[in-house]
Amino acid sequence: MKDPTALAYVNMYAILGAIPLLCRLDEQAAALIRNEKVSVGFSVRGGPAATLVFSDGTCTLRDGVQGASIRLPFSSPEKFNGMIDGTVTPIPSRGFTRIGFLLRKFMPLTGILTRYLRATPEDLSDPVFFDRSTTLMLQVIAGAVAQLANHDPVSRVSAGYIVDGNIFVGIDNGPHVALSAQQHRLAVCDAQEKDCLSYMRFPDMKTARALFDGQVNAVVCVGLGQIRIGGMISQIDNLNRILDRVACYLA
Amino acid sequence: MKACYEYPKSREAFLRAARVIPSGVYGHLGPAEGCFVPVEAFPLFSSRAEGTYFYDLDGNRFIDYMCAYGPNILGYGDPDVEEAAARQRALGDCTTSPSTVMIDFAELLVDTVASADWAFFAKNGNDVTSMAVMLARAYTRRKKIVFFKGYYHGVSPWTQKLDYAGIIEEDVAHNIYLDWNDADALEETFRRYPGQIAAVISQPYMHGNFADNVMPAEGFWQKVRHLCSENGTVLVIDDVRAGFRLDLQGSDHYFGFEADLICFCKALANGYNVSALCGKDFLKNTASSLSYTGSYWLSAVPFAAGIACIQKMKRLNIPASLNETGKKLRDGLIETARKYGYDLHVTGALALPYLRIADDPSLRTHQAFIAECVRRGVFFTNHHNHFINAAMTDADIRETIEVADEAFRVLREREA
Repeated sequence: MKDPTALAYVNMYAILGAIPLLCRLDEQAAALIRNEKVSVGFSVRGGPAATLVFSDGTCTLRDGVQGASIRLPFSSPEKFNGMIDGTVTPIPSRGFTRIGFLLRKFMPLTGILTRYLRATPEDLSDPVFFDRSTTLMLQVIAGAVAQLANHDPVSRVSAGYIVDGNIFVGIDNGPHVALSAQQHRLAVCDAQEKDCLSYMRFPDMKTARALFDGQVNAVVCVGLGQIRIGGMISQIDNLNRILDRVACYLA
Repeated sequence: MKACYEYPKSREAFLRAARVIPSGVYGHLGPAEGCFVPVEAFPLFSSRAEGTYFYDLDGNRFIDYMCAYGPNILGYGDPDVEEAAARQRALGDCTTSPSTVMIDFAELLVDTVASADWAFFAKNGNDVTSMAVMLARAYTRRKKIVFFKGYYHGVSPWTQKLDYAGIIEEDVAHNIYLDWNDADALEETFRRYPGQIAAVISQPYMHGNFADNVMPAEGFWQKVRHLCSENGTVLVIDDVRAGFRLDLQGSDHYFGFEADLICFCKALANGYNVSALCGKDFLKNTASSLSYTGSYWLSAVPFAAGIACIQKMKRLNIPASLNETGKKLRDGLIETARKYGYDLHVTGALALPYLRIADDPSLRTHQAFIAECVRRGVFFTNHHNHFINAAMTDADIRETIEVADEAFRVLREREA
């Protein structure tokens, strides 16, 4: 039920795409990249190509691999997905001298990300960890929604019914994300609720987390007023169908 | 100024429901699918209903513009329908041999519905739309079904979309989706799939959600009818929602063509649970060949209620009277909206009006208006067409307009 190419896009833009935020949220991650000036390009045949750029203590993700100091080519989406799963070891085609960064910095970085995204109950009992983990999950889910809307055959059906305009998903007094829909293609964007056609709001981190973890039902939460939806609700309705697919892809 | 309703007992009941029922209230009557925005503005459970009103658990009275999403056409608890049902209930309802009241009902439908040579009964609209598709496939020995986007034909897998939970590719593999009113696209589809299209299924006009309802373009139905006949394809009209509110002879008759199969439910028996598939004679033998039935499908009480309902609808000339009531509502609402500077669009048939405040593309203003109306006892819904019933009086329309006036005023004051 998972399309490998769609999964590769999710892995590239939602999972690896969360590393920039991780480096802003987590001190340990920030320390790992503090004095680094290096870029890691991932190029997937028949799939996405993007580069994580580490510079001046920040990290950004940009499209394409041109100019990447380390280049990791993958012969197929399956191979790239294997790297994310930890079952495939990539071999650089460029940047052999910077391989130490991959081993000593990048791998620990992805380890920290995994700890936040596959958090244990013990880790989540720490309120700071809980907030960071939930913030990262919100970002990853938004990224995955956009990629699946554009690349997953089933989600593209849902996206086909989403009218143009921004969609806001936010946690009251907490983080938010927005997705722009244009011609049935979705992208994560930086929009405020007032600039969005529809909204889905959670009252707090706890409720959002419970929904992300599948511990509560969204329809019941709407009935109880715990999740607020409004505006062009057809956007939210179709977004929720893609969220079901996100759960399948990220499981 | 009218006091705004509150719903503590509804909330309490919803909490109970959520513990033992998936979604608490599932489907279109529930707060999520029903687009209750904000949920606090809406009642969640009713305690009783009478005429054009329903009362919630907290004792609030609502002028009901949803009519249980259509079934209430004469008024809740209509005395003539109730008397017929009670009489039959005393004789028997769900019995081993069916009652001849079933024949009476079928005869009445054949006499009433222009395109009907026979009638087959079930319970819900979905039962008969599904039967129509099976029947078309059995008759033509073809697989493909043409739909018009924005459709709703029930909840069976073939009616759902690939991205819906529990639906697999094979469920919808033979569905073809075309834009409403695009007869040229239908013609092209027949060219692309010669001898492969079993049925074209459609509502009589596009009463989809989240968008203004759209009537058929001039000549659209006549061209569709012609193309179906030319290609040996069965034309199915899903009249579950609009049936009897436009025309007692069927909505195909209203738009000047004849369906091969036509599906009824909602207004058929004023809330008693029965649906009917009516069809042309050439499909009757194939209908007989289908393995298709249910435990309660031949129950007699809904048949008796249906007979009383149809007879009364004829006596009252229901389509004309609902049209008149709908016109008063439309004119009153539009004028009131205009008074406060809002551009309210009322589309679709007057007996099934779809409302949309067009000033705000995000629909937030529309949702705020609807919420203020519901809080004051006028049950509108956000993004679905409404339903008019025969028990609605001029006084109800006046009260509705007064409430709308107050709701628009509140909105304007809030925006100031």
